[in-house]
Amino acid sequence: MNPSLKLALVVLIALEISFTQVWTVNVALIVISLVILGLNRIHIRTLVWLTVVPLFFASALIWSLMLRGNATPHFLIVLFTRMFVYVYLGATFTQTTVPLELTRSLEQNAKLPAKFAYGFLAAFNLFPKIKAEVATVHAAAMMRGQVLHFWSPQLYFKVILTAMNWSDQLASAMMSHGFVEWAPRTYAINVPLRTRDWVIFGASLLLVQIGLFIGLP
Amino acid sequence: MKQWHVRDIILVTILAIFMGVIFWVTGPVYTVLAAALTPFGLQPMANDMLLGLWCMAGPLAGFIIRIAGAATLGELLGSIVEMFLGGMWGASTLISGIVQGVGAELGFAFTGYKRYNWMTLVLSALTTTLVTFGWDFFRSGYNKYQFGFMMLLLLTRFVSVFIFGGVLTKLITNLLGRAHVLSPRIRA
Amino acid sequence: MATVNIEHLTYAPDHQDPVLKDLTATFLGGRFSLLTGPSGSGKTTLLRLIAGLTPLPTGATLTFNGQPLAAQSPQQRSQTVALLFQEPSTQFTMDTVTNELRFALENQQVSPAAMPGKIDAALAFVGITDLRDRNLMQLSGGEQQKVALAIIVAMDSDVILLDEPFASIDPATRQTLLDRLVKLCRDQGKTIILADHDLSGYAQWIDHLTVLHAGQVTTLSVAATQARLAAFTPERLQLTHVQLPTAQDKSCFEAKGFGLSQNDRTLILPEDLPLLTHKTTLITGPNGSGKSTFFRSLVRLGRYQGTITYQGRDIQRIRRRTYARHVSLMFQSATAQFLNVTVAEELALSQRYGNATYFTPDRIQAALAQLDLSGRDEQIIYSLSSGQQKKLQLLCMLMMAPEVLLLDEPFKGLDLNSIQAALTLLTTTQRDLDLTLIIISHQLGGLSPYVDYHLDLAHQQLTYQGVTA
Ligand SMILES: Nc1ncnc2c1ncn2[C@@H]1O[C@H](COP(=O)(O)OP(=O)(O)OP(=O)(O)O)[C@@H](O)[C@H]1O
Ligand SMILES: Nc1ncnc2c1ncn2[C@@H]1O[C@H](COP(=O)(O)OP(=O)(O)OP(=O)(O)O)[C@@H](O)[C@H]1O
Ligand SMILES: [Mg+2]
Ligand SMILES: [Mg+2]
Repeated sequence: MNPSLKLALVVLIALEISFTQVWTVNVALIVISLVILGLNRIHIRTLVWLTVVPLFFASALIWSLMLRGNATPHFLIVLFTRMFVYVYLGATFTQTTVPLELTRSLEQNAKLPAKFAYGFLAAFNLFPKIKAEVATVHAAAMMRGQVLHFWSPQLYFKVILTAMNWSDQLASAMMSHGFVEWAPRTYAINVPLRTRDWVIFGASLLLVQIGLFIGLP
Repeated sequence: MKQWHVRDIILVTILAIFMGVIFWVTGPVYTVLAAALTPFGLQPMANDMLLGLWCMAGPLAGFIIRIAGAATLGELLGSIVEMFLGGMWGASTLISGIVQGVGAELGFAFTGYKRYNWMTLVLSALTTTLVTFGWDFFRSGYNKYQFGFMMLLLLTRFVSVFIFGGVLTKLITNLLGRAHVLSPRIRA
Repeated sequence: MATVNIEHLTYAPDHQDPVLKDLTATFLGGRFSLLTGPSGSGKTTLLRLIAGLTPLPTGATLTFNGQPLAAQSPQQRSQTVALLFQEPSTQFTMDTVTNELRFALENQQVSPAAMPGKIDAALAFVGITDLRDRNLMQLSGGEQQKVALAIIVAMDSDVILLDEPFASIDPATRQTLLDRLVKLCRDQGKTIILADHDLSGYAQWIDHLTVLHAGQVTTLSVAATQARLAAFTPERLQLTHVQLPTAQDKSCFEAKGFGLSQNDRTLILPEDLPLLTHKTTLITGPNGSGKSTFFRSLVRLGRYQGTITYQGRDIQRIRRRTYARHVSLMFQSATAQFLNVTVAEELALSQRYGNATYFTPDRIQAALAQLDLSGRDEQIIYSLSSGQQKKLQLLCMLMMAPEVLLLDEPFKGLDLNSIQAALTLLTTTQRDLDLTLIIISHQLGGLSPYVDYHLDLAHQQLTYQGVTA
């Protein structure tokens, strides 16, 4: 499915179930997501991770509401299942979409300005370096006799300076590779937006509406 | 009004990723805190206590980049990154990213993107608290809590956002100001 | 073939004193120009101005074959001039080599049908066809620079600017890149302007050296050029004093069954290795062979196989905070090490936690003078030139006086005088405080008298090298 439409679909559904209280639809969405994840051969370890963590938090939230609140059992079930819809729905999107595809699609189909699409992508690709940098900053400070905690201003100061430095370098490099913010570009790879995509999009939304409003529990 | 340039967009994103990584590093703190509070039914407290840290990208981006929408975009991009990295809240991170971003943004909007001082940060902390709380009111069932407990959560959240998004952000921007890295961007 | 002409260029950053003063210069079309000059003389500033990355100040003119850059459409600009940066890893937008090439060609509005041909040709020209589907972040610095060059080749830019492109590149890769550049000049008539401190390997290609000094560009005569280049003869790169360790030598680190891999790729095959105490050991090896990764394991910043002991104790069992004070790393990027805002604050921090009995205020002042850093107490660290930052970083780490100091490319981007000063400071401190120094360096010029042992990382193995006299 077209990545932009897929993103819109996932966000719309997530938004809708945040404000409605039909647990059967939640369960149906969980099942559908799991089927899609299964068809895409998700790693068992990822799936376990995606299940155990929300299980803990959802249970803790329910427990807390039972102890401190006055919610009905029906509402608790809705809340519990809702957490899993969020997680699995998000996973169906991320497991079937590569950031680059999404970027290309947003640029071509959703007419997102290229500066946003590629600026985001350039930073995203720096992720391994950013991760290593946080460890480096901690270690380097310790070698100077200082321990940085997550509440130390110096930690963020260093991180922001690094971010500024890298963003300057990346932006210069993009310019040097011929990128101009408002200039037209050609596309090496075209991302199609087919009728089929629209049909899936419309049908899925319609199904969710029907589920939500025919009076299921 | 200042325009978005590709350099600002990259900066916001890198900043958001950095904050995400720091949050991951502190992840155990959250889990331990949540686990310790759960038996007393206080798990949402853990959430509210650390929410300020989670929302710091917004006020920081707003303060550093000083373009309308910077705070929102900072949080939104952060949540997209987080979603791809398998953050535990999946699709809802996108929505809460926008919600948190808008919350922080309002503080800057109320000062017309003209004043960048202590007041702005406190205002932003206040709007962030209210907006995100309103969101959890529906999403996480906060509306079903007893009134007293709800107020306790609200207060905890405000204190957290005030400490991280207000005090800490102010200390950071002091350092940045002294290093003269904020001034060229204001002119640019 | 494009001739670059600059007239009346005066440039002052942020109301500071001007860095470039009424500079006038011509870089002839189809020529290879080598630009050099002391640290902080403004080479980076000049190249960025030529590339159009910094807006030209009023009153100055800059033309390519008589045409100003502003007269061209943005798409044409990248065909006129392109800059290859010093820092290899932060110059790409996309994830893989092919995608980055596509990105550049898309920007130039090349039709999709014409792209594969251009991409193939550019990769073949630089000799990296086998890298085409690799992830950019997983390439070594040398490979990344080759990719960056391939992109400029694909974009077919007339003027190619390179800002210390070899600063973190091993000698062999440097030679191949240099060959490619000269070929571009000769065969395709490209104009090349390259800034470098290390002048070795240029003698056969350069007749006239271009020097940036006191804000002005001067072109040296053939004789003066030869004299400058003579300081960088191949003999200076020989290590003549290194020995093999003997059984009597005491070690501080003992690695047992030590092996390294990164993303399923083996960097170092399991081996036993001692690192010797109170001595200076030099580590060399090609880009991406795993030298920095090795250092990161020594300071517990990465996974490895086997065990490493420090003075008989497994390093994983020592308290992190304590260990960091015994074994410290001078990181490849200077700014990683700084925590404060001004030079004075930074020195004060090192004095507070470091060896203050040895580093008395007098000694610090003397060291600052040696490194040409005096009188900068109140300067903001981040406004220092990259060379000055490197020197300050070195001094700060020496003042901490850890028992073992690991130095990852401490001489990167320093000019000849600065390297000499840094070496003198390093070795006197080492002698007086009995430190252990382990240095990674691609740049070997002048190191020979100071190095006791030489470890070479090649074919996934770290081996001690001895001079066979
Ligand atoms: N934003 C700035 N504020 C103050 N000074 C600056 C700024 N930018 C550059 N400078 C000064 O301009 C001078 C030239 O810097 P530049 O980076 O061009 O030198 P360089 O010749 O490339 O040095 P190196 O060999 O160390 O790379 C330096 O002395 C630096 O302190
Ligand atoms: N965080 C990372 N993620 C993926 N690959 C990495 C990472 N860090 C290093 N590598 C890869 O591991 C290999 C060894 O890297 P390392 O930096 O140790 O090489 P090096 O010998 O220090 O090279 P150089 O001389 O260029 O500094 C390289 O191929 C590099 O691309
Ligand atoms: Mg420079
Ligand atoms: Mg290295």
